[in-house]
Amino acid sequence: MEDTCDVLGSEGLIKKHEFVRIIVQCLYSLGYAKSASFLESESGVSYKSEEFRLLESHVINGNWDGCISFLNSLRDLLGETRDSAVFLVLRQCLMEYLKHGEDKLALDVLRKRVSGLHVDRYKIHGLANSMLSLKDVGVDGDVVIDSRKDLLKDLEKLLPPPIAVPERRLEHLVETTITAWVDSCLYHTSLGPVSLYEDHRCGRDQIPTTTTQILTGHRNEVWFVQFSNNGEHLASSSNDCTAIIWKVLEDGKLTLKHTLCGHQHAVSFVVWSPDDTKLLTCGNTEVLKLWDVETGTCMQTFGNQGFVVSSCAWFPNSKQFVCGSSDPEKGICMWDCEGNEIKAWRGMRMPKVVDISVTPDGEYLISIFLDKEIRILHLGTNVERVISEEHPITSLSVSGDSKFFIVNLNSQEIHMWDVAGQWDKPLRYTGHKQRKYVIRSCFGGLNGKFIASGSENSQVYIWNTRNSKPIEVLSGHSLTVNCVSWNPKRPQMLASASDDHTVRIWGPQLLGEKKRCNLN
Amino acid sequence: MDLDPRQYENIAINDDDVHSVVLSYLIHNCYKESVDSFIACTGMKQPENYMENMEKRKKIFHFALEGNALKAIELTDQLAQEILQKNKDLQFDLLSLHFVELICSRKCSEALEFAQTKLSPFGKEQKYMEKLEDFMALLAYKDPEKSPMFHLLSLEYRQQVADNLNRAILEHLNLPSYTAMERLIQQATVVRQCLNQEAGKDGLAPFSLKDFLKS
Repeated sequence: MEDTCDVLGSEGLIKKHEFVRIIVQCLYSLGYAKSASFLESESGVSYKSEEFRLLESHVINGNWDGCISFLNSLRDLLGETRDSAVFLVLRQCLMEYLKHGEDKLALDVLRKRVSGLHVDRYKIHGLANSMLSLKDVGVDGDVVIDSRKDLLKDLEKLLPPPIAVPERRLEHLVETTITAWVDSCLYHTSLGPVSLYEDHRCGRDQIPTTTTQILTGHRNEVWFVQFSNNGEHLASSSNDCTAIIWKVLEDGKLTLKHTLCGHQHAVSFVVWSPDDTKLLTCGNTEVLKLWDVETGTCMQTFGNQGFVVSSCAWFPNSKQFVCGSSDPEKGICMWDCEGNEIKAWRGMRMPKVVDISVTPDGEYLISIFLDKEIRILHLGTNVERVISEEHPITSLSVSGDSKFFIVNLNSQEIHMWDVAGQWDKPLRYTGHKQRKYVIRSCFGGLNGKFIASGSENSQVYIWNTRNSKPIEVLSGHSLTVNCVSWNPKRPQMLASASDDHTVRIWGPQLLGEKKRCNLN
Repeated sequence: MDLDPRQYENIAINDDDVHSVVLSYLIHNCYKESVDSFIACTGMKQPENYMENMEKRKKIFHFALEGNALKAIELTDQLAQEILQKNKDLQFDLLSLHFVELICSRKCSEALEFAQTKLSPFGKEQKYMEKLEDFMALLAYKDPEKSPMFHLLSLEYRQQVADNLNRAILEHLNLPSYTAMERLIQQATVVRQCLNQEAGKDGLAPFSLKDFLKS
């Protein structure tokens, strides 16, 4: 017999008999019953405790009163749990009476013993209802034994340790460790099972850190860049009054597809329709134009000279969109692709709209108002929530799963909030520079667990959402980086737009070896 | 704030119409003696056949109201088998009244057996299943009056079932299943609602017979 004081582990924190017992449980649950029972005899550690064996014999023999007095005798069993366990025993007793045709006895159990228990009313009503159908009398012995075994399994889940061990204890302990590894893995970009042989840590080799391409299509500062939802195209817009659509090729290189001309002034904002067939462009002193992606032609122009649009957002149906104006008189308007105005939120109280976004699931409209106010409107119920920031906000970006959004502030912080409104404080990310200009950030990477942002010091910053300090700082641009976009389908591809007239594409350091295995 | 009486005072009403309204109410509720004396006083024409069925209907109604559902069912079937055969909802409601009777007289094993044999065939349909669950749950309580389903034991519930039975029988006899009085009050209420919808918040209060009679 093992000495129950034996300990394991380098700090002596693990009790040996407990350790062996959960290994035995694990072997049984994996189906290795022979090994399990051999281990029990070799180690002298039995999986089933003495108390449990007592309960087991009561259950197998149908000694219900014995079961109940056993359950009542356990001091560690909390009142509610005890009643749930007693309920299970009485239910078995009742069902067996019914099977034997002893309806009156069954009824007695229900009325005299079950109805007094502190369990959910529905359980009791359900039991009453099960008496309705005439059970087939004439019992199959095996069926009874099996149902008693099931009862024992259910009771085991309710018993406290050390009488019973919680289910799958060893698996749970290992998974707790793995989860802790993953949570603290800064560069975590792998999906699926994690190896137990080494403490898990992803290397930086999966994150975009080096320039793989420089796009020089624009002739002036590039202010905005965004990948299409399917990751096959990139749109960029510039102070040179054009927007460019680039195609992403199989091998990850980008080529120019269309240059969209027609605007009179700088184009500061571009947004893809959810189905990626259309593009909206607008500028701070410009009208709104709708383009067909395939042909590169302008399909509609909205508004006239006086109508100035600062930002816009599509609804999931790719047929309607909203736009916000930096003109205080205009407010927010909703249009369809044919040029019809559907709805407008106007009024004297409507301050200037800095940025606007619709969550991908179509449920919320989030807008940034002059220039410290965030308004989150639930489109279904028309309920609006307001968050007031302390510093001017320059841009807004929503996560792909519609649950979070980030805003860039002139105080050199990026704040993340939850759409549903349960957080009373935002998560903060710092490290980049932003004092004067509009700098934009985005979610990205595998599972949207990373944030990237431009910065006034010409670098691109990358954070893991779990950490407020950046994990990567990318150098290459020579002037302020205004905007970044992470390819939604290629988590290793990042694009940045800069005042130095270029768009840079970033990829992982070992791009040449193209390790694709982790992505699946 | 009610309608200005001057708006409707000029509308002429036929005495015969009023008599019909009153008579239909009396017949519906089986007030035999009142019917007889009313007809005598007003000199109305006697409606056909109301007499023999009224006696039967009265008995059936009272048995149902007391909770003696089996007797009510027996007499209804005597009157016409199709009434309950065509109306499964009613049949179920009456049988479950009997179940409740047994529970109230604490004859629980009988109640269980009755449920197993007579009520469980209904359980195959979803709408009956849910009602049946509520009834069966009564079995679990020593004092069913203190259970969450106590309304199933109430007079109001029996009244509702008895009313439904009465209406089904009237329909079978090709008599109106709703009294003219009921219909008139229902109409006045709906008309008032429609007017209110158009008038918005300047509209009148919902129609209340009590208030109307007081004014």
